[in-house]
Amino acid sequence: MQNLGELTRRLIAAQVEFVLVGGFAALAHGVMRSTRDIDICCRFSEANLMRIQSALADIHPVHNPRTDLPLKLTPERCANLKNLYLKTDLGIIDCLGEILGVGNYDEVVKHSVELELPIGKCRVIDIDTLIVAKEAMNRDHDRITVRDLKEIKKWQQKSGS
Amino acid sequence: MREKDTHILKETGTAYRASAGTDIDVLFLEDGLALTAWERIQANDDIMNFGESLRNAMEKRNAKPR
Repeated sequence: MQNLGELTRRLIAAQVEFVLVGGFAALAHGVMRSTRDIDICCRFSEANLMRIQSALADIHPVHNPRTDLPLKLTPERCANLKNLYLKTDLGIIDCLGEILGVGNYDEVVKHSVELELPIGKCRVIDIDTLIVAKEAMNRDHDRITVRDLKEIKKWQQKSGS
Repeated sequence: MREKDTHILKETGTAYRASAGTDIDVLFLEDGLALTAWERIQANDDIMNFGESLRNAMEKRNAKPR
C-alpha cells in the first residue's frame, strides 16, 4: 500500500540530505494532482546514499524498473551513481543528483524552503524554481502543473503570503 | 457546463472570478490551498490507495467466469 508520507518520514528520520522536487513538491505547494512517487534531489555522497539505503532497508527497496535487483549499495557503486530509481513496499522514490534547468543538490538546496511537517522538518524546492524545473521538463503533465503553480503564485501575491 | 451554471460560478466563486477566461479548475485549486501540505500528502496517499482498490476490484470482477 502506498504511503508516501511514511516514506518521507523515514528519509527525515535517517537525516538524509534531500529536497523534495517534482509532483510531490507541487502537492506541497498546493497543486491538487495525485502523484504515485516521491522525487527528491539529494547529495550523491556515499554517506548520504547509505542513509537512504538504511532508511528503506526493511521495506524491500529494489531498483525501478529492474525490480529483480534489490538495493545493495557499496562504496564503488555509490561513486558511479548519478540517479537512483527505487521501488519499495510504501511506494516509488526517485533520487536525482541533478535537476534539469536548475542544477545539482547544492544549487537546488539554495532554491528551497523549509517546511515544518508533523513528521519533522523537510526542504521543498521553492515555487519559482519548481516552475523553472517543470518548464524545462515540458511534458504534458508538467505544463498542467506549471499552469496551476502560476495560479497559486498569483493568489499568494494577492494575499501577501 | 451550461451557460447558466457558468454564470452561477462567476457570481459566487472569488477564485473563479480571479481566473475568469482560463480553463483552470480554480475551485479545485482553492480546495487544495485550504489544506496544509501534510493534509495534501495524506489525501494523495488516500486517493492513490482508493484507486488501487478500485483497480483490484475491477480485475477480480473481470476474472470471474460469467
